[in-house]
Amino acid sequence: MAMHVPSAPGFAQMMSDGARYYSGLDETVIRSIEACRELSQIVSTSYGPKGLNKMVVTHLGKMFITNDAATIVKEIENEHPAVKLIIMASEMQEKEIGDGTNFVLIFAGALLDQAEELLRMGISVPEITDGYEIALGKALELLDDCVCGRVTNFRDSQQVKRAIKASVTSKQLGTDDFLAGLISDACIGLLSEKGKTFSVDNVRVIKLLGSGLLSSTVMNGMVFKRDIEGDVQKATDCKIAVYSCALDISQTETKGTVLIKTANELLNYSKNEEDLLEKQIKAIAESGVKVIVSGGKVGDMALHFVNKYKLMVVRLMSKFDIRRVANSVGAIVLSTIVPPTPDVQGHCDLVYLDEIGDTSVVVFKQDKAEGAISTIVLRGATENSMDDIERAVDDGVNNFKALTKDDRLLPGAGATEVELARLLTQYADTRPGLEQYAIKKFATALEVFPRVLAENAGVKAADILAKLQAAHQEGLKNVGFNIEDEAEPTIDAEKAGILDLYMTKQQAMRLAVGAAVTLLRVNKIVMAKQAGGPKPPKQGGQDEDD
Amino acid sequence: MSAIMAANPRAEVARASEALAINISAAMGVQDYLKSNLGPKGSMKMLVSGAGDIKITKDGNVLMHESQIKHPTAALIARAATAQDDVTGDGTTSIVLLIGELLKQAQVYMTEGLHPRLITEGFNAAREKALELLDQMSVKLTGDDREKLLEIARTSLRTKVHSKTADLLTSIVTEAVLAVRRDNEQIDLHMVEIMEMVHRSEMDTTLVRGLVLDHGARHPDMPKRVTNASILTCNVSLEYEKTEVNSGFFYKSPEEREKMVMAERQFIIDRVEKIIALKKAVCKAGENKNFVVINQKGIDPLSLDMLAKEGIMALRRAKRRNMERLTLACGGIAVNSVDDLKEDALGFAGSVYEHVLGEDKYTFIEDCKNPQSVTILIRGPNKHTITQVKDGVRDGLRAVLNTLEDGALVPGAGAFEFALREHLLKFVNEGHVKGKARFGVQAYAEAFLIIPKTLAQNAGFDGQDVMVKLQEESRQSHRAVGVDCDTGNVSFPEELGIWDNVRVKKQQINTCTLIATNLLLVDEIMRAGLSSLKADGS
Repeated sequence: MAMHVPSAPGFAQMMSDGARYYSGLDETVIRSIEACRELSQIVSTSYGPKGLNKMVVTHLGKMFITNDAATIVKEIENEHPAVKLIIMASEMQEKEIGDGTNFVLIFAGALLDQAEELLRMGISVPEITDGYEIALGKALELLDDCVCGRVTNFRDSQQVKRAIKASVTSKQLGTDDFLAGLISDACIGLLSEKGKTFSVDNVRVIKLLGSGLLSSTVMNGMVFKRDIEGDVQKATDCKIAVYSCALDISQTETKGTVLIKTANELLNYSKNEEDLLEKQIKAIAESGVKVIVSGGKVGDMALHFVNKYKLMVVRLMSKFDIRRVANSVGAIVLSTIVPPTPDVQGHCDLVYLDEIGDTSVVVFKQDKAEGAISTIVLRGATENSMDDIERAVDDGVNNFKALTKDDRLLPGAGATEVELARLLTQYADTRPGLEQYAIKKFATALEVFPRVLAENAGVKAADILAKLQAAHQEGLKNVGFNIEDEAEPTIDAEKAGILDLYMTKQQAMRLAVGAAVTLLRVNKIVMAKQAGGPKPPKQGGQDEDD
Repeated sequence: MSAIMAANPRAEVARASEALAINISAAMGVQDYLKSNLGPKGSMKMLVSGAGDIKITKDGNVLMHESQIKHPTAALIARAATAQDDVTGDGTTSIVLLIGELLKQAQVYMTEGLHPRLITEGFNAAREKALELLDQMSVKLTGDDREKLLEIARTSLRTKVHSKTADLLTSIVTEAVLAVRRDNEQIDLHMVEIMEMVHRSEMDTTLVRGLVLDHGARHPDMPKRVTNASILTCNVSLEYEKTEVNSGFFYKSPEEREKMVMAERQFIIDRVEKIIALKKAVCKAGENKNFVVINQKGIDPLSLDMLAKEGIMALRRAKRRNMERLTLACGGIAVNSVDDLKEDALGFAGSVYEHVLGEDKYTFIEDCKNPQSVTILIRGPNKHTITQVKDGVRDGLRAVLNTLEDGALVPGAGAFEFALREHLLKFVNEGHVKGKARFGVQAYAEAFLIIPKTLAQNAGFDGQDVMVKLQEESRQSHRAVGVDCDTGNVSFPEELGIWDNVRVKKQQINTCTLIATNLLLVDEIMRAGLSSLKADGS
């Protein structure tokens, strides 16, 4: 763009066409706060066990029905930069812990909401941000005192189940007990190897349409939605060879040409080729292997010999699946077709082709309870419901992973938040400066959680909050909101087994405060012209306010 | 009417006082824009790119470049800021502020009828004096003054990132620069690798005395963590490569083809075996030694298999720049051929391990003996935090480097600028400047006050108030006095350890005088190039 001889003064005139420039408190901070409030209002109705589902339809027509905040914000294609910051914080939570994303969104929203009030009171931005940071530091310190238990034995399925249940409850109320059981069984099964860290990737979920959720099962081993290649459909107590290459005639990398001079040679060539392949497959069969897993295509001729020697062949498309199978059966992946020596062979108790619903699946099953990989077979009526259940399972598994890093537990049902808010309010009074207002507002922001829980359950939030505060004032620090029973609105969360992970809360508070403080510190926004390309259709404009 | 209009009626033109007004208003506009970013208490700006990426920063240089400015005068000032950044890596916001303020002060005299030429003469005289004063005020470093290095790094970092983060980074950047320093050689900051990792918070940023590579071993069976590792740095292809000439195999039976397949591989296998032989020679059984291969070229799955079987950790496709750093960090020589491999080509690292973050893998090469290349591993929860820390780290490194090269520092917190004003006014009052140029010197003197004033304003105090306090104190104590951004009172930067680089100030004085002079002497702005003859929008 060529320069023009400029005209009117002022910074806005100096920028390129289409760029937007916002400065001052009203244009930046207050507007950002408004946008973020919109977002947290969207997701807050999905918080907790009685949270409602959202239906999100993307511009590709894909539909999501979920109350998982991470999924909702991912799909709403937000464009507002301030909202984006908050969403990034929530995505980070998803990455680090895998749960508590909604907590981040709501808390950041609440903090900003409170900050707006402070700003209107005339408190300056640095005082608010300082206060929030002091409050965060204190809150994390106080969080240690709120701990109400630990998971002492990760092999104890009852303990694990109790710890992860609350997280599943918030996604799938009603079937939570069953699901938490499945998840804890699947996770505990992977703990056999000492010193190896638990990897979320080793809990596989496979979704098969049909039947009901309650017929979902857990097994040690793997299940693939595939058909098998050869004739043999079942092998028990068998040795397995895993190849990453194709099961076919070997090829040179350089282009090869068969040089044939006589008709006889031509005849011999095909014959020899067959013999060679037969020899190779025979060698594999003779090494005692019953099942071959191949990463590439299985040639027709190879298939013939495989059937001849009664070998079972499974072809897997993904190299990661190949690795997982190898891991599960204890084999080493071979990259050329050579007869497997005993040390590279794996072993599996049962490999078979099964039909669940109308889907053919290949099952690798180990009899013993512990192994390298476990699979949760989910059944359900619709794809959407299973997707949602899968997200709940993912959250549960991530919770287990977080537990293995930090085994401390906090009382759930809003009990921790009410207790923290109470202690922080007390603490605020001891601070001399203006930051005490910010600390108090931080405490108020924490109280949004029991409030949202109550609102989503259709109960009067103010009543509940008052009751909870009264209970905490008496020193009952584990008392939270009882979602099940209207007559008895408070409950001892620890005794009722509603527990949150220490790590989730700690991380979520940190990220939420970080995002909120960053946003507050911004005093000018410069936005470049939107880059070209077709714009995706609008989503009904939830939070585009400019 | 300008003559150019007669020749080209489409030309755009601004003349004399109009041109000056345009320049001055632009300079002041940019100054106003950047003003709120100066100093440790400066606020942040959020930049949103066309693609929606967010950047949150208060780095003057970044802001000048990414704020979508197209005004010609503003672009000129942006270029001055770039020059400042290239030469010193710091002081970009100040320079923009100074240029704006110089023009603003000059305007006061010009409205009274003073010719710009006289003002510029005054500016130039003042510049000479300023450089003189800079020499006088600078404090020489004695030997290896670690304390001072830490202080300058802290001062620089605190103006870029949150103070908690700055305190953490202070020792990191200082250690990093000291680690890559070698006697009698120029320090090469490229030997400080900056890696970023989206992980945890920015407070987990660390200095790794070794290297961090952003990829991992490519074989599932390779060890993920080894100790006492000998490191072979090589640039040898360990995968099958096609010949450059067109070639083909001719065979007449499958057996022959099998042989061809084997022979084709043999070439690579030989190479791998040479490496394995070296490994066996170095790591004898029972000695708890390990072997790591880092290759710039590729390693194919079959070779990886062979290496994995021997328990060798192998990384392929390392970045070229990392090869140089590797040998500096771990010792050894990068080899281009596996013939005649000798033990003395190997480097050493106390531990090598892989760190997996979601999809991304990182390999840490740590505990090297006397590393001459180190890595600053920046962690942060999201991209904009990392970018912010990265810009800060870069400036911090430059600040330490500048100090080592200058061997001197000047007191910061606006102390130099304040002292300069007093110095120049004294110079004028004592009658050293003849004629009307003295007004130029006076304007120059007042202009420099913008720095301490803005520092105070950004911290929420009244600029004038603080200036009065500074004057009182300096009259009584005759010391370098600066602004205390926490209390709004007078501070003694030398005691608090707030320093600025000499070369930053020197560059600032030179550039801002030059640009301001240039802008003042412009009396006509026109746009009549051939490309602009077409009517706009057509």
